[in-house]
Amino acid sequence: MTSFQSQLGEDQGIADELAEGQREISIAEFFEKNKHMLGFDSGARGLVTAVKEAVDNALDACEEAGIRPDIYVEIREVGDYYRLIVEDNGPGITKEQLPKVFGKLLYGSRFHAREQSRGQQGIGISAAVLYSQLTSGKPAKITSRPKGEADAQYFELIIDTDTNEPEIKAERTTSWDRTHGTRIEVEMEANMRARQQLHDYIKHTAVVNPHARLELREPGLDEPLKFERGTDQLPAETKEIRPHPHGVELGTLIKMVEATESYSVSGFLQEEFTRVGKKTADKVIDNFRDRHFGRELGWSADGEAVAEAVAAAVSNKGADATDFFASEVASTLGGRERTSHHELVEIVDEVAAAAEDEHGTRFGATVRDNAVEAAWATMTAYDEDADEDELTDDLYGLVDEATSTRKDDAVVAGMAQRLARRFAAGDDRMRATHSDLSTLVDEAADDTEEFDDATFGDTARENVVEALWSRMVTVADDVPKVRETAADRDTASELLEAMRETDILAPPTDCLAPITAELVEAGLRKEFDADFYAAATRDAEVHGGDPFIVEAGIAYGGELEDGGQVDLLRFANRVPLVYQRGACATTDVVKRIGWRNYGLDQPGGSGMPNGPAVIMIHVASTNVPFTSESKDALANIPAIEDEIELAVREAARELKSYLNKRRSMQKRREKQDVLGRILPEMADKVSEVTGRERPNIDAALARIMNNVGVEREREGDTVRLVVENHSDRTENPDVTDIVSVEPADVPEEATVVDLDGEWFVKWNPSVPGGEEATLEYTVAGDADFDVNVDGIETEKLTVNA
Amino acid sequence: MSADTPHTKLNEEKAREQLIDLAAEFYDQFEHGDIPEMTLPTRTKSNIVFDEEAGVWVYGDRTSTRSANSVRGARKLLKAVYAVEFLAQQLDEDRSSTLRELYYLSESWDSEEAQFTSQDESNQLIEDLEIVSGVTREDFHMRPEESGAKVMGPLRLREQTRRGDRDIHCQEDVGQGGYQIPNNPDTIEFLDNDAEFVLCVETGGMRDRLVENGFDVDYDSIVVHLGGQPARATRRLTKRLHDELDLPVVVFCDGDPWSYRIYGSVAYGSIKSAHLSEYLATPEAEYVGIRPQDIVDYDLPTDPLADSDVNALESELEDPRFQTDFWEEQIELQLDIGKKAEQQALAAQGLDFVTDTYLPERLEEMGVL
Repeated sequence: MTSFQSQLGEDQGIADELAEGQREISIAEFFEKNKHMLGFDSGARGLVTAVKEAVDNALDACEEAGIRPDIYVEIREVGDYYRLIVEDNGPGITKEQLPKVFGKLLYGSRFHAREQSRGQQGIGISAAVLYSQLTSGKPAKITSRPKGEADAQYFELIIDTDTNEPEIKAERTTSWDRTHGTRIEVEMEANMRARQQLHDYIKHTAVVNPHARLELREPGLDEPLKFERGTDQLPAETKEIRPHPHGVELGTLIKMVEATESYSVSGFLQEEFTRVGKKTADKVIDNFRDRHFGRELGWSADGEAVAEAVAAAVSNKGADATDFFASEVASTLGGRERTSHHELVEIVDEVAAAAEDEHGTRFGATVRDNAVEAAWATMTAYDEDADEDELTDDLYGLVDEATSTRKDDAVVAGMAQRLARRFAAGDDRMRATHSDLSTLVDEAADDTEEFDDATFGDTARENVVEALWSRMVTVADDVPKVRETAADRDTASELLEAMRETDILAPPTDCLAPITAELVEAGLRKEFDADFYAAATRDAEVHGGDPFIVEAGIAYGGELEDGGQVDLLRFANRVPLVYQRGACATTDVVKRIGWRNYGLDQPGGSGMPNGPAVIMIHVASTNVPFTSESKDALANIPAIEDEIELAVREAARELKSYLNKRRSMQKRREKQDVLGRILPEMADKVSEVTGRERPNIDAALARIMNNVGVEREREGDTVRLVVENHSDRTENPDVTDIVSVEPADVPEEATVVDLDGEWFVKWNPSVPGGEEATLEYTVAGDADFDVNVDGIETEKLTVNA
Repeated sequence: MSADTPHTKLNEEKAREQLIDLAAEFYDQFEHGDIPEMTLPTRTKSNIVFDEEAGVWVYGDRTSTRSANSVRGARKLLKAVYAVEFLAQQLDEDRSSTLRELYYLSESWDSEEAQFTSQDESNQLIEDLEIVSGVTREDFHMRPEESGAKVMGPLRLREQTRRGDRDIHCQEDVGQGGYQIPNNPDTIEFLDNDAEFVLCVETGGMRDRLVENGFDVDYDSIVVHLGGQPARATRRLTKRLHDELDLPVVVFCDGDPWSYRIYGSVAYGSIKSAHLSEYLATPEAEYVGIRPQDIVDYDLPTDPLADSDVNALESELEDPRFQTDFWEEQIELQLDIGKKAEQQALAAQGLDFVTDTYLPERLEEMGVL
């Protein structure tokens, strides 16, 4: 690789020489060289990616316009090339926008929007155009008819890779039989080796977009693959949202602060972020203050000493007024547990104003400042030489409270003394940020350990810090304005920390359109013929300020393929992810779940489970974190992985109870099989030993199996159907007795239907556990009967009628 | 058969009837639409109670049910019905078989489900049938593989054998080994005797020592060899010797927890056959030794108690059969000294010590001599 760095001792002119070769690279040019980043690394894959980009765009466009998507995809062999045609019934694109949408990379409406959509960067479809022009040299042919227009526009265009601008090769007005929509036709060097992935993509798209109608024609198909709509209900419309305070990074924040028109930080927060009102902004600002200025620690005051000091600090105000002022300040302070510096300032101000009212004497700023200074000096007096120490006592109480009772009193006293010394040496107003405070406590604790030969562990230190911090009060100073914040990286960083620290409501989720558990299940039902379906939709969560919702679905049994790993369908914002399964967070999550707990086989207890099952996972977010621009795999974000796991487990729990039930039914069948062998043998033997006729064992067997038995008794013309419920819950069988002769005396609870000389006696008794119900009617003479019982699992039913 | 007496014939008839009744009960259960089942007393230590009247330990009120409700239960009942058929047929034909033969014989049954999977299973089933029918195994004509126990002493008896009645004197007509107890001792008739008491001995070695030293002659005692846990026939004979000849019975075992259980099954009945206690147990039987007390008094050579011995002793303390002052005192003493001794330990003081000193002293103490 060429080094662009000039090296010492080489020719003077080398940098200049190199500079000649250095120039800006167009984005189009860059991608021309890095096709794989966009999913165009091979002919096989390129075709799938192109289909995917075009279909995603079409679906987005339709949904945005509230149109039920009807999408047609065709692939044709044309000489050495493949021609791809994708047509939709979307709202169309205006003549002005069209060339840019298809002919300029990174042009789109969605990059800046916090809203769930399939496409985001505005790269996809133009990359497909670029890929086709690079491999076949032919322009993309695009027809679009905006809704309401009489004619369609036809363009042939290529992308100028030097400038990343569309170059229109042909342009004309044309007529089109669709009333609105867009059609793109590109030719590219490709092959159909990825046919399976292509079919998967279309099929899976149909699963998660049950509102869309899809059709695929390609050379390998005799019949076009058609996927009809499963629902007429369009996904909920999504709303764009502002960023969430928990989701911005420092660089972004600085950019936002620079760009905002707000003057105050509070205004900025309320204006630019979602879920921030006045109250939340105030909380953030308080946290910002704590970080920017630190908090102040308050101290107790000795009333007399304060009164004396304040009185001494006031001059020329007359004895009465001075006396009133000094004693008011002293008594107010004496009545408080502790007072911080800015609280003292406020108190002095209030008392001064009162004194002015009372005595008509002016207590100006100088007097007030002097009074504050005198009182504060008294409260925080600390001079080791003069044996003056107002601080240690206050601190002793706090340290004692914060440390465990096992701490030696001498150690607590020593710690308090060392803290006092450090506070006295520190800020005059006793201000400290949380980290300053931690440092201070750490130093004091280290000294205590060293000189008092005591242990002062991390927990004890933390407790002391927290005890102090919780007693310290937020100052009232005005926070820096937006402009100052923008100018200073550290201040901005403090603001960011404050934002993250503050509890703020999760972002609104109307920017997301989950498929919903109901439709996930419907989608699976539509495309997979299984015995069991389950689906779960989680509540919205936030990662990096972007809300996301995870949904999972499971289909099991039926026609699904058995004998290998389960099929994992991955979706992001309703787009199937076809490639790079192994690199995807969803795969990792599925692998680390213990599937044996849920009744699926999992060799070794981890990894992909085996069985006739499909697991689908859908992540919807305003910003889905992919591992790369080709959008094949979700990145491993813990917050998202956790939600994926919870969603999958939720659906898996249903699978488990289904499988358990199936297993218990199987056990019941096995038991019935074995007993069905043993009991007749036993009956034969007892009849042999006793020399009596073989006993009827059906009733005993039904009772053993907790079954519902249906028996027929006949006595002359009277027919009795008896339902005996041996289970422990109420059963509601649908009994249909088909009789060859017209029945009479049928009670009201049953109905008789005459069907071509056969009479259907329908009866729905409700039989509580352990009881029986009887239906009695009469038939004249010989008759054939055929009873049919529904509404009870066949395993639980013994019919002897 | 010439050997049949009206008494045994009656038993056989009753046995057969009881078995058929059991099958008929299953039949009726089927007919009523009930689940066939068979209720048995629970055979555990916690479910035996003292029968004041008979002075023996019998099963309490707790029962367990073998029901066709489960596959396991159904298999058991099927096997029971097959076994009933076999036993009824055996009684009809006046044949007999051993427990082991029954196990192998099940292989020939037409139902695979009815075949026994282990001999424990067939043994247990025979016990079950004994309990529900109230008929003993001997009356079913089922015998164990071997009994092995022998009697030596001044006793003349008549045994009904398949080859006719035999009169036997258990000292004069037998060799050093003594008289072999038949499987069903109820075929024996006592003729006359000069015996003073019955001495049951646990080990063969000690029995041989007593016989060699002429203890049975010198003290007019009937020496019964128990050979470990005594077979039913041995216990039945012992009981008959006591009941019919009015002889005191004493039991002479090792000084360890397992031997106390041997005494227990002679005197109180075993847990497994508590349904037959009245027929098998001799509640008046007394324990000679070796007592833990003897270990101390005679300074016998000992082995330390193993963990399993300690557990067994502790479990005996909780066994209702051993809740007497004598046993509680002795067992606690043994736990205290932590030692056990064999019968043969007495040889430490000479081969004749047991016959010349120990037994006479002990028996005198107990009032037997």
